[in-house]
Amino acid sequence: MHVVRRFCGTSVGRKYIMAASGLGLALFLVVHLLGNSTIFFGATTFNSYAAHLHSLAALLRLAEIGLLLFFLVHIAFGVTLFVDNRQARPQPYAVSTSSGGRTPGSRTMFYSGLVILALLLFHLITVHFADDHGAISLLIRRHFANPWIAGFYIFGLAGLGLHLSHGLWSLWQSLGINHPLYNNLLGRGALLAALLIAGLFMAMPLLGLFWDGFLR
Amino acid sequence: MSAEKINLTLKVWRQKNSEAAGALATYTLRDISTDMSFLEMLDVLNEQLLLTGEEPVAFDHDCREGICGMCGAVVNGRPHGPERETTLCQLHMRHFKSGDTLVIEPFRARAFRVVRDLVVDRTAFDAIIQAGGYVSVNVGGAPDANALPISQKNAEQAMDAAACIGCGACVAACPNAAAMLFVSGKVSQLALLPQGHPERRERALNMVKAMDGQGFGNCTNERECEAACPKAISIRHIARLNREYLKAALSGD
Amino acid sequence: MKLDANIPPGPLAEKWQQHCFSSRLITPANKRKYTIIVVGSGLAGASAAASLAELGYKVNCFTMHDSPRRAHSIAAQGGINAAKNYQNDGDSVYRLFYDTIKGGDFRAREANVYRLAQLSNNIIDQCVAQGVPFAREYGGQLANRSFGGAQVSRTFYARGQTGQQLLLGAYSSLARQIKRGRVTMLARREMLDLVVEEGRATGIVVRNLITGELESHAGHAVVLATGGYGNVFYLSTNAMGSNVTAAFRAYKRGACFANPCFVQIHPTCIPVHGDYQSKLTLMSESLRNDGRVWVPATPGDKRPPHQIPEAERHYYLEEKYPSFGNLVPRDVASRNAKEQCDRGKGVGATGLAVYLDFSEAIRRDGSETITRKYGNLFQMYEKITASDPMATPMMIYPAVHYTMGGLWVDYNLMSTIPGLFVLGEANFSDHGANRLGASALMQGLADGYFVVPATIAHYLAQCPRQPLSTASDAFVAAQREAEGFIRRLVALKGRRSVDDFHKELGRLLWDHCGMARNQQGLEKALARIPEIRAEFWENALVSGSGAEFNQTLEKAGRVADYLEFAELMVHDALARRESCGCHLREESQTAEHEALRDDARYSHVAAWQYQGEAEPLLHKEPLAFADVEVSSRSYK
Repeated sequence: MHVVRRFCGTSVGRKYIMAASGLGLALFLVVHLLGNSTIFFGATTFNSYAAHLHSLAALLRLAEIGLLLFFLVHIAFGVTLFVDNRQARPQPYAVSTSSGGRTPGSRTMFYSGLVILALLLFHLITVHFADDHGAISLLIRRHFANPWIAGFYIFGLAGLGLHLSHGLWSLWQSLGINHPLYNNLLGRGALLAALLIAGLFMAMPLLGLFWDGFLR
Repeated sequence: MSAEKINLTLKVWRQKNSEAAGALATYTLRDISTDMSFLEMLDVLNEQLLLTGEEPVAFDHDCREGICGMCGAVVNGRPHGPERETTLCQLHMRHFKSGDTLVIEPFRARAFRVVRDLVVDRTAFDAIIQAGGYVSVNVGGAPDANALPISQKNAEQAMDAAACIGCGACVAACPNAAAMLFVSGKVSQLALLPQGHPERRERALNMVKAMDGQGFGNCTNERECEAACPKAISIRHIARLNREYLKAALSGD
Repeated sequence: MKLDANIPPGPLAEKWQQHCFSSRLITPANKRKYTIIVVGSGLAGASAAASLAELGYKVNCFTMHDSPRRAHSIAAQGGINAAKNYQNDGDSVYRLFYDTIKGGDFRAREANVYRLAQLSNNIIDQCVAQGVPFAREYGGQLANRSFGGAQVSRTFYARGQTGQQLLLGAYSSLARQIKRGRVTMLARREMLDLVVEEGRATGIVVRNLITGELESHAGHAVVLATGGYGNVFYLSTNAMGSNVTAAFRAYKRGACFANPCFVQIHPTCIPVHGDYQSKLTLMSESLRNDGRVWVPATPGDKRPPHQIPEAERHYYLEEKYPSFGNLVPRDVASRNAKEQCDRGKGVGATGLAVYLDFSEAIRRDGSETITRKYGNLFQMYEKITASDPMATPMMIYPAVHYTMGGLWVDYNLMSTIPGLFVLGEANFSDHGANRLGASALMQGLADGYFVVPATIAHYLAQCPRQPLSTASDAFVAAQREAEGFIRRLVALKGRRSVDDFHKELGRLLWDHCGMARNQQGLEKALARIPEIRAEFWENALVSGSGAEFNQTLEKAGRVADYLEFAELMVHDALARRESCGCHLREESQTAEHEALRDDARYSHVAAWQYQGEAEPLLHKEPLAFADVEVSSRSYK
């Protein structure tokens, strides 16, 4: 029990939990991105990817439960940390200026997190749990043709990019990985990865919105 | 070094004691020499207030050479003012222009109660050190100083970490009012030196526990602490603290 | 009163060991029944409090700061000496002892200084064991550097922050004892009086600086480690809060004050640039290794330095002291700088500065070498003055730095009040008339870690252990007096700020009781001080009340004490009609205007006893030198 308390009950422990769950979620994102990138190769490839995926039903279920756990942990700890941290400075500054450490990503972690959560819920409801028995490519094509939905995706994915721009660097720092030799690599790598992940995901609704040949 | 004279508007946090409510009060200062240090400028303000029958502004300060860690206030949103690696006492007025408005507030954090005006209570830092920021060695039992060689690299890094002056700017700058940079300085210093090794596990656990108990916030890697630190202590030491904590937390009792 | 230094018999090298053996001890079980009050938590105070608590005593430790880590020991830059001889360059305990005695111009006690040199090695061991990050060589061994006044490399250092690291080491030991419950730390308390009962120190009265409440605390012994009084000059390298109050109140209760006129003035400080200036910043003396000191040859020459041709520059140190040149000792360099400025040759806006010029060194060694050597010092200078020493000559001026004088103590570090021990800069003991660089840290830690823990038991074992109480008449009276003092200060609603009085006092002492003194000037100061004091008690302005956090009131109390203490300093300076150590007595100089020591008449410690309104009474403790040959300094 000590170990659980050391992780759930202390600031540094919770930091590890955020980093580890964040890392798990980031890995899922990468896998999800790789899978979904079949979108760029047309409807047939995409549908067959989806079919393959669904054939692994038991495994998929397991992965989904794991993923849900990661999400729940990340969200629960994220929210409690946010609330805690606000209470740590009851009287705010009249003037608040950055000393030069913060980035747009780090500044907005909680809010970009909320945006991601909204996107996630929307995505789950409208895609994952959609009561639609046609081909997945048709559903996605229909969705992304709707400017409101596509716009919401783009907005949500921008939030994801912002979140990752800090998170993908921050998690290494939290896990205790910081060394002048590879700090540059980690910092730039995180930014690049965030850009790449969010960019590629974003390309999907953008193509859906502006390219008639999307998922045909 | 040719000194100029500048005029300033100051908005200074005034708070009679920890229980009283505080507010910003506005003062104007004329003919401030740009050769003055920031604290000397406050001295001038206080002399002016005193002679006009007002209470001078309380502010902590002592060595006025950037090492005791006693001074510190947030100037226009930045702890110790706009210059990097500079304590408030070493900040000179030549970094400001005539006509500037300076908002001067105390270091704000739940763990730093305001004592009066710009003076805050930083004994929470002492409580953290008391929880394990030492090597348990009594006087008399020390072996010869050269008995244990320490690589120059480790000694230098330990010194980087040990340069902390305990001013609290890291807490003041942190959006979460976290004290991780302060704690990591001590943990890192003693983790880098063999003398600190026998107690490193307890040290990491106890100091983190004490830090949380004092009401500081949680680190979210905003890096503001490092940017505001007058001694440029790197968040690399926070990473080392994290590692020390992980090792300690995962090992048995 | 007869001053008995209690120097143990026997050969010099064995005195301390013998003394420890013959001193009485207290059993571990009984130690916890004693409470010791430690006032001050700098190097000496924190190390004493921690060590005493380790031994088992109950310790109440007081500091005026918010935390023990703020004490001004933290500002010591250079390093700490020890006779380790790690460099194999011929160092030894005897050599460190000899250098310290000689550096002090033969005005310190042999036995004390020898013990200091012996303990210096244990200090380094202790500090390394605490995790003090001293500088290391590549092989992992401790690094040393050389320092003024010595021909060997024996100074241990942690960058330019040795004092900070040693203080944090002592602070960490203290923190450990606080956690264990052996030390009760009472921060933001300023000592206002010493309580003496039946001739013994039994407690103190302090003011809680946050609430303004006065508190009495009783103990079986009182240890003062409250630092020096350099701030009596207003401008000094001391911290703003450094003060003489605790030591001076002890003096008024009967502790003799020794050699108050022995003040060290450091030659390389950043000069004063205006009336508002609050503090002087020290620059490392190492700058004089490569910088050349000069002033314009013609008084009143206000041209910028680069417009003054070589022929019109006066390199006064090189001219006057051809063999040592710019590397003459601190006092000689300081005195000559002031002399040049007094002749109107001073430079800068205030005329109170001399040039320290690196241009020749830059031409000789290249700017890269000079930057590597002094880069951080140049940056520090530029930060404060906005002028780059690589381009324009640096300006320097002497500043008050350290006070060798302090409360008189015997070999056990006990003052003339039994039960009152005094450590560190607050006592007068080991530096004679001049302190060598890197020796202050050594003394503070020797006193705190090793000396007082050993000597206090002997005192405690000798007197019956009384139950502690603050209800006695002496405590009540002392607290009432302190209340009266605060009340009188708060009632001051005149028109002049306390700082203004302090500045006037400082200037007076600087002019007449500084580096060079003479009868006439000292008498003038002696006449003027009471006048300033009288005006202070009529026309000073103190805002707020005594029942709150009130920094103006704190300052007023300290200045009020300085205004009395300054008189004592001047008395001491008047009585010592010889030049020695840091100061030149103009009546006592050679035909070439060099300091002339007068061993026949002044080879003694001047210990002053408070006499109320009357003039203080001088007691002399003769100094005998059996193990060193007394010589005179020459830097020609």
